Amino acid sequence: MGNITKLSKKVQSSKDCIIHVEHLNKQFIVDKQPIDVLKDINLQVKKGEFVTIVGHSGCGKSTLLKIICGLVDYEDGIVERNGHAVVGPGPKCGMVFQDHRLLPWLKIKDNVGFGLRDLPEEEREEQVRRHLELVGLEDFANSYPSQLSGGMSQRAAIARGLAGNPTILLLDEPFGALDALTRIKLQKEILQIQEKKGTTMVMVTHDIDEAIYLGDRIVVMSARPGEIKEIIETDPVESRNRSSVTFARYKKKIYDYFFEDSNEKYEMGYAI
Amino acid sequence: MNKVGKVWTGLILPVAIIILWYLATTFGTMPASILPDLRMVGRAFAEMIAAGQLQKDLLISLGRVIKGFLASAVVGIFLGSLMGMSQKLKEMILPTVTAIRQIPMVAWIPLIILWAGIGEKSKVIIIMIAAVFPILVNTLSGISSTQEGYVEVARLYKLNRWETFTKVYLPHALPQILVGLKLGLGVSWMAVVASELIAASTGIGYRMNEARSLMKSDKVIVCMIVIGLIGIMMDKLISIVFDRLTPWIQLQKTGGSGSQS
Repeated sequence: MGNITKLSKKVQSSKDCIIHVEHLNKQFIVDKQPIDVLKDINLQVKKGEFVTIVGHSGCGKSTLLKIICGLVDYEDGIVERNGHAVVGPGPKCGMVFQDHRLLPWLKIKDNVGFGLRDLPEEEREEQVRRHLELVGLEDFANSYPSQLSGGMSQRAAIARGLAGNPTILLLDEPFGALDALTRIKLQKEILQIQEKKGTTMVMVTHDIDEAIYLGDRIVVMSARPGEIKEIIETDPVESRNRSSVTFARYKKKIYDYFFEDSNEKYEMGYAI
Repeated sequence: MNKVGKVWTGLILPVAIIILWYLATTFGTMPASILPDLRMVGRAFAEMIAAGQLQKDLLISLGRVIKGFLASAVVGIFLGSLMGMSQKLKEMILPTVTAIRQIPMVAWIPLIILWAGIGEKSKVIIIMIAAVFPILVNTLSGISSTQEGYVEVARLYKLNRWETFTKVYLPHALPQILVGLKLGLGVSWMAVVASELIAASTGIGYRMNEARSLMKSDKVIVCMIVIGLIGIMMDKLISIVFDRLTPWIQLQKTGGSGSQS
């Protein structure tokens, strides 16, 4: 059923654009020297889409995510969420960080409800309960973050990100610190969650497999300055099958972008 | 190890000291006016209790400690928080604080007596000066070591500055504020005794000084033991209150090896 929703997204028109980034440039000043972090970024994300951004660490992909989220300022370019210029964080845009960033002094239920302080208590509890259930942590509502494993903490962070029912969820390498098996499990879960809630998701990752598996489109970024090299539209069926030939082909394509200058050319054979 | 076991472990050293003391007074050559034996100290304790003097002095000193300590806690936590939240304020105040902190607490006593007399006020002020710095410095360090990531979460959910302080900075700093308060409490006792030794007509420090001038070392030791016991009780009280306030810290500790209380 995931395939059907995925196909239907592609026929939506451009006015369904929920994230709109145009000619975005970003510089950081390091030791009084301006460093280009992002250069002429153009990216449109449609409603309900799952976009993955893959690139070397330090290529500015996290900065791009934080600009979309409103946590980092931008001076040059257009960045819009839901048709409005981004001026700061907003309730309709959730974010999940690599280091789950659950506040150690709050119980899991209070962490998940952290952004819901404007809601009346009953409603807040209901939202928290629903989202803990969504990520399978309903039995840990009264635990503290230190009692949870890495995978569970990241689930709780996802629940916190979704608790305000945002239309957009930005994920900054959320599974980067997890072991391989937990990571694959959570990749499956995040797809199911997206299907259930219909949230538009943009995920930054340095894991090429993860980018192919999750992304309806994969944004390939180069480093210094961070530029979009290509946006790859994936086949909705084949890209969810890690052992398919198409999956391997995507992988080779992305791999070649990152190692085009080296002799480390990706051997297609070994993945199949 | 269970809780009772831990208490026993903590008693090994005091018992050893008492045994050594007993041996020294039984077989040693020190005159009783310098090192009294256990029985003399026990008798002095009973006498002082019976006369009501000990309770009265203790209550007076304890009152001074509590007043001075609470004042320094309020000032220290308030200033430390402000400085931890604002880099500007920190840069402005910290050098002065660091300089003043180097002045020994007893060096303040003459000046404070000139300013505030030898009454109640000067004792409380001296305690405050002594105890405020460990509390301030620890609060500052706890607040300013708050991870940027947590603050970013606060920004993400649009918490205002006050909410960010109460929901992120303050809980993060709580364990270290506790350390500051415990240090401050120890210093408070030091300060009250010192100030009473120099200028007072009441209080446990005054009583010690009076006993010394009468060569009543047994009474001096009684006062010292009582201060130690009250001190450990107040220290425990702070721990209990803070364990209630910071349940997650206990879990973090037991999550590892599970050996700390």
